[in-house]
Amino acid sequence: MRFKIIILVLLALSLTFVGANSALAVDATANVTLSATVTSIAELTLSTATVSFPNANPGTVPNVSATENGATITAHVRTGSSTPASLSVLAADDLTSGSDVIPMTAVSSTTTNTSGTFFTTGAIPWSKTAPVTLGGGASGSYTGTVNWTLANSWSYATGNYTAAATYTLTAP
Amino acid sequence: MFDDTLKIVIRKFAGKMISLLPLVFAVITLTISALSLPVNGGSGTVTTNADADIPSSAQLTISPSSINFRNANPGAVLTIPANENPVSVTANAQIGEQSLATLTVLAIGDLISGSDGIPIENVTWTATGSGFVPGTMNKNSPVSAGSWQGPGEHIGTFSFFMGNSWSYSTGNYSQTVTYTLTAP
Repeated sequence: MRFKIIILVLLALSLTFVGANSALAVDATANVTLSATVTSIAELTLSTATVSFPNANPGTVPNVSATENGATITAHVRTGSSTPASLSVLAADDLTSGSDVIPMTAVSSTTTNTSGTFFTTGAIPWSKTAPVTLGGGASGSYTGTVNWTLANSWSYATGNYTAAATYTLTAP
Repeated sequence: MFDDTLKIVIRKFAGKMISLLPLVFAVITLTISALSLPVNGGSGTVTTNADADIPSSAQLTISPSSINFRNANPGAVLTIPANENPVSVTANAQIGEQSLATLTVLAIGDLISGSDGIPIENVTWTATGSGFVPGTMNKNSPVSAGSWQGPGEHIGTFSFFMGNSWSYSTGNYSQTVTYTLTAP
């Protein structure tokens, strides 16, 4: 009787295992590794390539606004999270008209952020000796509005003055 | 007298039971053999009788298993296709005629490069082949990538794409996603 019970128990266990196996779902898995490479890139767009200051009476117009004020500046940049991008401007020289000179420090620009926060606000005087920082930040797409101003003076000799300046957007 | 007779009966019964032990072991051995049918990977042939109790099994192959997205200018390339597109997928499911085999994918996390991340939802795929479906990667819950009723071998392809953006920080990003073929 004891053996019969053992046999029945073993058979029951075997059938239970089979039944349990039939009821369980089986899975097959496969791992896939996704990789992406992202490198530095920068794109800078200014809606105007020329900035003109009209003649004005220094007694009534101490600061002359550029004709192109309200220009749009767009900076697209991708950089490292610990190496922010930067925007700067450097004049090649002072404003010159023949031998006459208006110091480049008389020119300043003011940029306002219209999309994102990247451009430094407030009037920033330009320089011909070292790049002047106009903004900076993390990866992103930024848009702003630029106004230029020329500090007027009775001391300026008459003439048509010109100078070149270069905007540089850097993504380290 | 009665005790002697009882002892003889017990010995005879015990003898019969012992003679049945090989049969018991045979039953157990067959059961264990059935339980050990292959489930994942490998190849081989399993021969069974027509009336055998065959448990469900599943086999999944995705090749290649490393998917790479190249660098691209977001201003020019909005969506980056994977270098390896199209990726081959084979899903074998040994299930009942009325059962539904399902293929899902779950990302372990976002694409990671140090402390920087690209949301895994930026990775999508298209699919070819009967039963395979397109979708968007997710790290929170499995996403369906295919389903089939009844047993069979299902062959298709996935093509992977990553949405490009100026907001990504530079780096080499990676993440593992797990495809699971379930045979109920």
